Amino acid sequence: MGPRNILIAILLGAALAVGIFAAAKLNQLTELRSALIIPEPIELPNFSLLDHTNKPVTADTFRGQWDLVFFGFTNCPDICPTTLQTLASIKRELENTGSETTPRIVLVSVDPERDTPAVLGQYVNYFGQGNLAVTGQIDEIVKLTAALGIYFKKTVVDGDNYSVDHSAAVLLINPDGEFSALFSAPHLLADYVNDLPVIMGGR
Amino acid sequence: MCSAVNRLPSFALLIALSLLCSCESSDKPPFVATDIVITEPMPGKLMSAGYITLSNNTRASIELTHIVSPNFGSIEMHESVVDNGIAKMQRIDSLSIQAGSTSKLERGGKHLMLMRRTDSSETISLNFYSGELLLLSLQTSFASRTH
Repeated sequence: MGPRNILIAILLGAALAVGIFAAAKLNQLTELRSALIIPEPIELPNFSLLDHTNKPVTADTFRGQWDLVFFGFTNCPDICPTTLQTLASIKRELENTGSETTPRIVLVSVDPERDTPAVLGQYVNYFGQGNLAVTGQIDEIVKLTAALGIYFKKTVVDGDNYSVDHSAAVLLINPDGEFSALFSAPHLLADYVNDLPVIMGGR
Repeated sequence: MCSAVNRLPSFALLIALSLLCSCESSDKPPFVATDIVITEPMPGKLMSAGYITLSNNTRASIELTHIVSPNFGSIEMHESVVDNGIAKMQRIDSLSIQAGSTSKLERGGKHLMLMRRTDSSETISLNFYSGELLLLSLQTSFASRTH
């Protein structure tokens, strides 16, 4: 086999390998049950917030690990604790099934008026260790939510009592600090346990 | 689906005080609550959510208008809805349970919101009313959120 043929064989082999890899990736992604992959992951904007221990939170806080981010508030009696409980169960299930990577659970408060760091600390620790809760000035929260397409609005329920309508989605942030996938409600454990290893392992 | 954790034997504790006289069957209480789950308040919080199945065994519709408890400052009926990806909570003024049917108050849907816990009792008394008429009194305990 001459040098020209060897080169052609190498190129064909490389093309085949790329094709197989692409097909495998496509096949993996078609196995997703719920997650919507963001084709061009969105970098987090500049913002300055606080975590539940009063430490600064910026876009850099979201680098270095996978994060499942939910926007809610602690005075929400139904959807927020149910979602966080589901996320905690998902994390536990991934750990129990030997997943190499498990995401951190992050709650970003859309009710900073009532959700002080101290309030958030008690709340997120209830759902397990290693969770992160974020609060701060409303305009800084809006910088983050606006960049990610997250909606929230304060609504009066009764007298002084108010609620906050908010996006029900859970966002997956990759270790580069980019919004890379979205899970819409309803949040089902089986969907996440299927999809997360595909996404996190296929990176 | 919520599990009835820490559920006291519901039927044994239910005291059907209603005098609704149009029972479908004489061996069934007219208004029954089962699968009762009152979540324990989150740390630092004085509120709970309540999930419950209500059965109307009479031949007439029952309008549940309010629930009162000595253990909470107020209890409201709410409905969580996800509308175009937005989670919203709406107050319900009353809940109509048709004759011979069941209404489920469950996670992510209609539920009770128990606000301003007044004591540290682990037992909760709930009184269900239709206007002035006491439909049902029951006692239950808090359910741990499953970890």
